[in-house]
Formats: sequence, structure tokens, C-alpha cells
Amino acid sequence: MIDVNGLCKDYTIKKKGAGLSGALKALVTKNTDVIHAVRDLSFHIDEGEIVGFIGPNGAGKSTTIKMMSGILTPTKGSVLINGEDITKNRKEVVKNIGVVFGQRSQLNWDLRLGETFELLRHIYRIDLKDYENTMSVMDDILGIKELLDKPVRQMSLGQRVKGDLVASMLHSPKVLFLDEPTIGLDVSAKYSLRKFIKEINSVRKTTVILTTHDLGDIQELCDRLIIINHGVMMEDGNLKEITDRIAPYKTLVVEYYDEDAPEHEKCEMISHEGNVARYRFAKSDITAADIIASLSSKKAIKDVSIEEAGIDDIIKIAYGK
Amino acid sequence: MGKSFDTLRHYLDVTAVNIKMAFMTIVEYPANIAGWFISNPLQFIMGFAIIKFVVESFGKINGWNYGQLAFLYGLSVISHALSMIFFVQGWFMGWFVIEGDFDRYLTRPLGVLYQFFFTNINIFGITDLIPGIIVFIYGCVKSGVNPSFLFIIQVIIMLIGATLIRGGIYIFIGSTSFHTRSAVDFGQYTQEIMDKTTMYPISMYPESMQFILTYLIPIGWVSFYPVSSLLGIDNGISSGMITAFITLAVGILMMLLAGAYFNSGLKKYESAGN
Amino acid sequence: MKKYLFIVKTQIIKSLTYEFNVYGNILMQTIIMITSAYFWRALYSGQGVVGDVTAESMQTYIIISSALSVLLITGVEQRIGRSVERGTVATDMTKPVSLFGMFFAEDIGSIIALIFQNMVPILLIGSIMIKVPVMADIRDLPLFVISVVESFLINWLIAALFGMMAFSTINNNALIQVKKHLIRLLSGSIIPIWFFPEGVAKVLSSLPFIYIYQLPLSIYIGRGTRAEHLAQMCIQFLWLVILSALFLFVHNRVTRKVMVQGG
Repeated sequence: MIDVNGLCKDYTIKKKGAGLSGALKALVTKNTDVIHAVRDLSFHIDEGEIVGFIGPNGAGKSTTIKMMSGILTPTKGSVLINGEDITKNRKEVVKNIGVVFGQRSQLNWDLRLGETFELLRHIYRIDLKDYENTMSVMDDILGIKELLDKPVRQMSLGQRVKGDLVASMLHSPKVLFLDEPTIGLDVSAKYSLRKFIKEINSVRKTTVILTTHDLGDIQELCDRLIIINHGVMMEDGNLKEITDRIAPYKTLVVEYYDEDAPEHEKCEMISHEGNVARYRFAKSDITAADIIASLSSKKAIKDVSIEEAGIDDIIKIAYGK
Repeated sequence: MGKSFDTLRHYLDVTAVNIKMAFMTIVEYPANIAGWFISNPLQFIMGFAIIKFVVESFGKINGWNYGQLAFLYGLSVISHALSMIFFVQGWFMGWFVIEGDFDRYLTRPLGVLYQFFFTNINIFGITDLIPGIIVFIYGCVKSGVNPSFLFIIQVIIMLIGATLIRGGIYIFIGSTSFHTRSAVDFGQYTQEIMDKTTMYPISMYPESMQFILTYLIPIGWVSFYPVSSLLGIDNGISSGMITAFITLAVGILMMLLAGAYFNSGLKKYESAGN
Repeated sequence: MKKYLFIVKTQIIKSLTYEFNVYGNILMQTIIMITSAYFWRALYSGQGVVGDVTAESMQTYIIISSALSVLLITGVEQRIGRSVERGTVATDMTKPVSLFGMFFAEDIGSIIALIFQNMVPILLIGSIMIKVPVMADIRDLPLFVISVVESFLINWLIAALFGMMAFSTINNNALIQVKKHLIRLLSGSIIPIWFFPEGVAKVLSSLPFIYIYQLPLSIYIGRGTRAEHLAQMCIQFLWLVILSALFLFVHNRVTRKVMVQGG
């Protein structure tokens, strides 16, 4: 479906000093820096996948998604969608993609929402029957019909995002790109956005590619994660695989009757506060049951619980690399 | 052939929707209508009065009498108005570059430059057209022009060419923003220069400047050459029917070159928020 | 006062960061200036004195007018329009600096940057490519400087007044254009009104526009007697007073309106 081969993007930026003297100097000198925003990314995405791009700010995930959707021209490498190069054959390839970019709306601010849809219907040459079909599907998921006559400038952010989602799906694209779609949304708007993504993915087999900082998006939506940092791919796989690979441990929390806590040779005591001690152990080395048995032989245990490595731990580790 | 006809039909269809939406936007903000209907005609009526005063103070300008100057001025304002309707966005291209507003055009299956100009078509440019037509008709009467069918055809062809030349210049200037990443708007300056070089005969300027305006930045073809041919005034370069067609050819060439420069700039487009 | 000086300084730095704008503006202004110079040379060809002015003086007029145009750039009208359009005007007004004080300080900052970025280069280029624009009588320099300061203030007040119309019509772009054309065509910046018919010139003399460009330029090239200049400067000052009063009046009304409606 999508093939990304050796994708690179460099930016040239001008160096500027601080304050008045810096601004004056920049006027006469030509000091530039090359930033390698994305370096040699390659991956393949199959039809019907939901792929999440995650990474810290400035990691290059937006740049990547913008190259994949034809907005930015790669410095090197190529993006093939359905076997066709998006840079070389933009007008044809973009018929198969839909795009929703966070806080940048494609809706006409001054007019009612329906007018933007009408324009898009003509741009993508959607016949009226298909249009009505899509609209009734979208109405079931998002309740869009009641918004059609509302001027966009009077809409809430959540309503505008709904409008943008529908706008991006009118021509039934095979791939949908979403750049930080849930940013700034309230809980119920996030909920309907996620529901929307899941629905179009399962019903229409739409491939969805999104960037996000929202752990809920990752947990609920993404079959596959691609973690990017400094423009380089750090991890690629589903949440469980990545967890097993980079955070293959659990934490055992033990509460004793007093402040004295014994050590265990196969695990590391990562904290000890009051009556509670936390032990981290590798899943491959030992089971929790063995540790509990061994510890309880040394000292009386009041309570135990087990914590898996959370998604934020994974991200922290992956970003830190 | 069938395919390109189909493409043309598609673009015309989208254009019709865009124009409809532009009118709806105007209706949304009725307070603006009065403003533009005062502002634009005011500018050209005052500008025209000034030409009259200059002629009264100095006599003929390089052999052109008042009626001929009115004719020149009228046609110049008409092509200016047309360029305002279709191409004025070129002045603000820098903002679109900085704000990342080309993103949405790039993800749609139509030409980027087409979308840029036509989703923002400036219907208010019509308010420039009215004074232009009035002065042009006045100039026709004053300079004793007899508007035959052939004459009108020539005027229409040269107006298309002149509008394209102006549009091409706006695109060239706007496209520099891709390279400089700055939102500067040279519109006022461009118009100031255009006023001096299209509303007066360029034969009044030194030869070096005439050369530039004929061959390098072909503003001379916006009004001076076609109008002098229409009025039968010798301009030393071109005369007769052919001039209107040369103007059209220059306009098309300018558009092609400007389009190529725009596309090369678009490759350097960086969107926003990086 | 310190706060405003800080705004001025910040604005200078901001203006300096757009290097391309600087070179682009100089290029464009140079083209306009040289075209204008040729324009007047062509008009004057074979005629010595028209409208009491020689071709040489007219060249000086063009160069100084180009340089002066750098001083007469204002951002206040756009700033008000934007703040009304985005609905931030009510919060802007509750800031510890006065809204118009801030806009004024910003414009001063921009102009200080522009003097070095544009005005000096324009004068140099004009001197090299057209002629050295010497003042007709150097003893008039104080008068010239005072009239330039007043013309700057008049220009700024007109811009602020047009800007405040944004409160009544929401989008003031068209009105800003009206203002621009009025100043461009009626202030003598492009064509001095002494070339206009007497009746028209008389009407324009009673409007504030010619006191923005034409008065300081007339003093510079020495058209008219010193007594005439002083008389005109009295009218200029009168306009400054009238516009200031009008500004305060409208400003108070608008402030009250915003405070009641919350923008």
C-alpha cells in the first residue's frame, strides 16, 4: 500500500544572534545551518493498518507525514502510494489520500460547513449518490448533518474537527493522514474522533496514519507504532512487541508489616518507602510467584501487586535512546 | 484530446463553485461592499484627474494628447482590474508560504497555482473595472476612435495578454517568498511602478529603460505597445493588428515562466510548524 | 515611559530580522524613485520653469519625497483592525500599557529601523543615480525638521482614526485603502498640487493631506517665501491640534463602547 524508501529531509536555517547586535549582524553575514529533520527512513505499510507515529517535539514525525502526503518534497528518497510516487505524480496520487492536520482546518471560515463540502464534491468529482451515501455513514458516526448549515466560524473546535474529518473522507480515500488530530479536544470529542477512526478502518478498510502525543490514541487505536527521534526510526512494531523488546520487565510491589524489607538476588529494589518496597525483574529471568515465595520465606508479607511497564515508560525509554 | 477537454470541464466546474462561494462570502460581510465601491473607483478617478492636470500644466506628453492618454489610461486600468480579480493573491503569497496555507492545495488533485488564485478569487476587483471602462470609453470618444468589430477583437486579445503579463509579474514576485521565507508584500510598490509605466507612454523614458520594459520585464506590452498600435502612433517596435497577438504571446510566455518559477519554489516549500 | 522604550527597542529588533524585506524594499523604492525622476525629466524636457519650479528642484523633490515616505509608514491601522477582528481588543485594553501608546511605540521602533535600513540607502542611491539633493536654503533646516515631525504626527493620527473605524465596520481593509489613496494622491507625494488647477489646489490646501508631504518638501526645495512657509506651518499645526482632539474624542468613545460590550 505505502512504501517509504530512504526518505530524507534537510532544512536550511539562518543562524541569528540574540538582541539588537545579533539582528544587525544577521543582516550582513550569511550564516546558515543545515538541519537533518528526517534521515533515511524506510518502511512499508499494508492496507487497513492503523499506524501511529510517535516521538518528541521536533523529532521529524510531522515532516515525515507531510512528505508522505505530498506537501513537502523529500530531499532524498521516495514515497510510493499504491506503487505510485507522490512527488512525481501528485495530482493522481492525492486522489487516494485524505488529510486532517491538527489545528489547520481546510474548511471555509466565512461560510456554512455545507459549502466546503460542496466545493470538495466538485474538486473530487464525487457524484451525488456517493456523496449522499458517505454523508449518511458520517452522520451515523459523527452526527455531521446537524452541523451542515452552521457557519464554520461559529463552530467549536470539536465541531470543526468533525467537519475536517468528514471533509477528508468525502472522496473515500484509501489512506487517511492525521497530524495530531486530538490536540486540544475535550474528552467527548476525543471519544468520537477515535470511534470515527476505528469505524472507517474496519468498515471501509481505510489505512490510517497518525502522529500523536496522546497516550490514549496510541492505546486505543494503533495496531502498529513507529517511534521516531532525531529524524531516525527508533522502533517499529506493535505495542506489545516494542514493550517486550525495550522494556521487558515488570515491577512487583510488596507491602510488609514494618519498614524492614529484604533484598532478592534476581531483582532490583527500585524504591523503598515506609512499609512498601518495589522490585523490578526481567520477565525472562524469573516469575513473580517465585519472587513472592522467596521473599515471604524471609519476611511476612501483607500485600502484593504487579505493575507492567506502562506506555509512557516505553516512550520515555525509546525517546531517551 | 478527450482527456484534456474533460480536464478543462472539471476546472471550469470547480471555478463556477469558487465564484459562487466568493459571492456568498461578500454577502456574509455587507459592510465591506460600500468600502470597496468607494475606495477603488476613487483611486482611479483621482488618478485620471491628475493626468488631466499634468497635461494642462505641461502640454502633450511625448506627443500624446489628452484623449490618447485617456485611452491608454482606461485600458491600463481595465487590465489592472482584471489582474486584481484573478491574480491579486500573488501579492500575498508570502503569507500563504509562512502560514503553511499551501498544505491544503497540495493535498488536492488540482493544480496548486490554480487553486491558490481561484479559491481566493477577488470579486471586488470589479470595482476597479468600472472606472476603467468609463475612462476607456471617454478616451475612445476624445481620440476619435471608431470601434469596429476588428478593433474590439484586438482590444479583447490585448487585454487578455496584458492581464496575463501582470499576473505573471505578481507570481514572480510572490514566488520569491519560497526562497526567502518572508511574508513581505510588494503589492503597493508593484502597483506604483506599474502606474508610471502603463498609464503613461514609455517612450518618454530613456532608451535603456525602454529596453528593460520591452524585453526583460515586459511591462511595455501591458499597455504602451498595443495601445499605440491601436491608435496608429509609431512606437518603433510593432504596429498594426499583430501587436495585440504579440501582447497575448508575451502574456502566455510570462505565465509559463512564472509558473515554472513558482513550481521550483514549491519544491522548497516548508509548510509551517517545523 | 520605560515600558514604551522597551516596546520601541523590541520593534527595532523585530524589524531588523527580516533581511529580505530590507533589500527588497530598497530595490523597489529605488526603481520607483528613478522612474519618477525620469518621469519628471520627460515632462520638463524643453521647459524651464513650470508651476514656479525648475526641473532640477523637481528631481530633489522626488528624492526627498522617496526618503520621507519611509518615515510615513504606519502599522497602527492594521493592528487595530486585527485586534478587533480577533476579538482580543477588550483584553488588550486592560493591559498595563495604553493600547495606542503601544501601537505608537511600535511604529516609532519600525521607523527607527527603517531610517537606517531604507532611508539612508535611498538617499545615497538617489544622490549617486539622480543628483545630490541639496537643500535650497540651509537656514530653513529647523523649519523643515519641525514640519517633518508634525507631518509624521498628522499622518499617524489619520492612520489611527481610520483604524478606529474598525470598531464600526469590523473589517477596515477597504477604509485603509481609501486612506492610502487619499494620502498618495492628495498629499503631493507623487504629484505636487501646484500642478493642479487653482480651485482644486485651494480646496486641497484646506485639507490636512498636503501638510504631510508637500509642505516639508516645499520648504526643502525652497518653493515659496519663508513667510508663506510659516503661514502654512500654522495651518499644519492647527491640523495637528484638530486631529489630536478628534483622536482623543473618538478614542474615549471607543474605549467606553468596548468596556461596555466587551469587544
